[in-house]
Amino acid sequence: MADTENGKAPEQAAAGVSRRQFLTGIGGLGVGALLGGVFVNGFLLPEEVVAIPASDGYLLVDTKKCGGCESCMLACSLVHTGRSNINLSRIQVTQNPFNAYPNVVDVVQCRQCPYPSCVDACPTGAMHADAETGVRMVDEAKCIGCERCVNACPFTPSRVQWNYEDGHAQKCDLCANTPYWNEEGGADGKQACVAVCPHNAISFTPRIPVQTDDGYQVNLRNAHWGNLMYPTT
Amino acid sequence: MAQGGYVGKILYVNLTDGTTEIIPTADYEQWGGGHGIGSALFFDRVKDKTVDGFHPDNLITFMTGPMSGTLAPSASGRTEITGIGVTQYPVGWFTRSNFGGRFAGMLKFAGFDGISIQGKAEKPVWINIVNDSVTIEDAAGLWGLNTHETQEEIWDIVTGQPDVREWWGIGGSRDGGRTTQKPAVVTIGPAGENLARNACVLHDSGNGGGQCGFGAVMGSKNLKAISAIGTGSVPVADPAALMELRTEIKERFGFNPDAPSLETPVPGVQLYGILNAQPGYGTLLWPPMAEGAQPQGCMGCFKNCRMNHANGYANGDICVEGLYWMASSDQNENMAATTLLDQMGLNVYDVMAHSYMLELYKQGILGPGKEIDTDLPFDKYDTYEFIESYTKAIAYREGIGDDLAEGITRAAVKWGRYEQDTATGLLNRPQWGFMEHYDPRLEVEWSYGSLFGDRDINEHGVNWHVHWMPLVTAAVGQDPLVSAEELVNLIAESTGVGDPDGWDYSVDGIYSDAKLKAVSWHRHYSRFFIQSALFCDWAWPMLVNYNAGDDHTGATPDYEIRLLNAVTGKDFTYEQAMEIGRRIWNIDRAIWVLQGRHRDMEVFQGYVYDVPTAAPYFLPIKNAEGEWVFDINVGRTLDRERFEDVKSRFYELEGWDPATGWPTRDALAALDLAFVADELEADGKLGS
Repeated sequence: MADTENGKAPEQAAAGVSRRQFLTGIGGLGVGALLGGVFVNGFLLPEEVVAIPASDGYLLVDTKKCGGCESCMLACSLVHTGRSNINLSRIQVTQNPFNAYPNVVDVVQCRQCPYPSCVDACPTGAMHADAETGVRMVDEAKCIGCERCVNACPFTPSRVQWNYEDGHAQKCDLCANTPYWNEEGGADGKQACVAVCPHNAISFTPRIPVQTDDGYQVNLRNAHWGNLMYPTT
Repeated sequence: MAQGGYVGKILYVNLTDGTTEIIPTADYEQWGGGHGIGSALFFDRVKDKTVDGFHPDNLITFMTGPMSGTLAPSASGRTEITGIGVTQYPVGWFTRSNFGGRFAGMLKFAGFDGISIQGKAEKPVWINIVNDSVTIEDAAGLWGLNTHETQEEIWDIVTGQPDVREWWGIGGSRDGGRTTQKPAVVTIGPAGENLARNACVLHDSGNGGGQCGFGAVMGSKNLKAISAIGTGSVPVADPAALMELRTEIKERFGFNPDAPSLETPVPGVQLYGILNAQPGYGTLLWPPMAEGAQPQGCMGCFKNCRMNHANGYANGDICVEGLYWMASSDQNENMAATTLLDQMGLNVYDVMAHSYMLELYKQGILGPGKEIDTDLPFDKYDTYEFIESYTKAIAYREGIGDDLAEGITRAAVKWGRYEQDTATGLLNRPQWGFMEHYDPRLEVEWSYGSLFGDRDINEHGVNWHVHWMPLVTAAVGQDPLVSAEELVNLIAESTGVGDPDGWDYSVDGIYSDAKLKAVSWHRHYSRFFIQSALFCDWAWPMLVNYNAGDDHTGATPDYEIRLLNAVTGKDFTYEQAMEIGRRIWNIDRAIWVLQGRHRDMEVFQGYVYDVPTAAPYFLPIKNAEGEWVFDINVGRTLDRERFEDVKSRFYELEGWDPATGWPTRDALAALDLAFVADELEADGKLGS
């Protein structure tokens, strides 16, 4: 386990591991072994590795509480682009209506990786961690469309997308850049998906969530959900 | 303000010669969307409006609305179907159906506001829409598959993977767009292929467009399915306003699952969701399974009335779909029956007539070697074996299923039972062969609206409050959430009709002029807002609100218009929208008249007039002392003579000839429908 509280680099990332390997291994699929509920401002990586500040916020999604209405997707594209398009949403709900609960609905969102492969992959600095909030986001003016970030995301489906209508990469910025919304978004503001979800199945947290490679362990269901006779555990 | 909502194109497909055409949506935007556009397209493109529903010239249209595929709450996910139906008796009127899910949104992401289909393919085909690319594909490999299998097969054909959860690029280049979504498919099952008049169309797991038999109409055209997948955007005129409205509606009218303002006092009473919109309530009687469940919603909903279940059965099914067959003590079997119904592609409301047949069986009229001969195992009515053999018999037209696939009404006619059994109410089909939905002797905006129209109206906006609210609260031991007097005043205010007497269901109230104005409001509101703008019937109108403490003011009429204007950038007023509704209602009426509708046909079946209501049925009445109360309305019938007078006055109110029920030129001209008047006149059917 990494000693994240005092900012020391993980043991297994000792000399001989390149920054790239380190990020691939830990920023992505190895992350589950690494973190748990600890507020982290930054990581000191092995020599000649630049520390990337942790994000000040994360989205938690409780798929068992999700109603599959895709309102989050409609809201995401709306506030960012001014248009309605689930395919341009940075949060993605996929469903197979012929499966049985709890395997009907999947919701995937950017995990604001502590060691973000997308940021590492970007040759121009377009994909970056915001200086103030640490949120991993795209400076669209700097994006050259190489899609390395899209391919670098270790998750399936990739949490970084090619915005084919506007011609740049995009990913969840926790609503920092939402010109079509009257609310203040971002890690210190509101998030459109959280605001519209009918079940409050999406929630914002400033703390790095407990997680495995498959995702976070999230339960946003309280006793009132139980009163509806839905599972709360 | 910028324009938004529509994506600009309606696809027209002629299946006879395999050609397609693009109709600019702008040519038809004046009709609002959905049903209005479907009616106008039908009027323009079907020369002989008396053709049978199975005739290749019958034009069926699948239309979205301006808000489909947007964040407009409970106004994004529904698709309206129009065309000549095949279930109604004795005439298959020009009619409608409607289904939820994500088809409407996906069709718009592909770039189409709707699809209009005419002709008949030589052999089975399906329509494959991938953004701008529209192809008519051979359906040889799909014909015979059930509705669920068909969709999985199409997902595989279109995307190369049956369960897409990875980005899938369209057209090879990254600019074609990428999606994680599966194609949205609307399909028919074996029932539609076999031209069962009670065949529905089905989308995803449980979204059925059931009433009127459009599944059979598709089957008659050799059209197995329509698939759409798209990556384009729907323009929204004022995105910030739409976001604001959405969150406001959630806060004020929605159910907060973490801290509900109104919670059922008896957990598991799904019906309570009618009042507080608790998610997943749509099954009405089934609580979530102990093994687990979650709510499920159509695209953009803020209520999510359906469920996904741990046994995988009946996902997305609601209301009567869940009441199809409840005879088993094993809930899994009851749910499996609903899934079987979906897979066969049958309309539950017609085929749930197995309970009528059970009565005939008990009376010794139906059974092996009986007057109505069948070997269906009615002796094992409470076993899955029964419901499985019954359901499949209809879908495949086996044995007595061949009669039942004509619809239960036509079957009863064939058996010589129809007059007798609708006179006693054993077969409770009040008008046009449709199942009784709510009591036609009492809840008359439902029955009058259905009779003056084309089907069972299936519009609940008033019904939730006048009937269900007092019933549900009584069922859980509560007082009504609002008094009868407050309720009728709220409705009068919210609808804009103004006179609370419109919602007086007393012995005299159901014949009053005020009532007829309420019926007229209901027809016009529904034609525009529910069926054309495609607000979901299970959410809109919101005439009364129970989720904001003592403030019971509903969202109607304010929010519908604000949503519509935020999305389209147009400047609708409620009054204008209601006038579009009146216009659509009148073009429909004209089509029915061309099909042979006359005042003389607009009578209910005998039991409505002759058999008094026996069970308590909550509705508000103004009693002899002039006080508003919720009454149980037992012992009531509809009076023949007084109803005939209702007809005369209602026709006049609508601008129709009281002698015939035909629209007059003046009334049509005032709605800018002179061209409709011309066609009626040419046919000798213009009212005077």
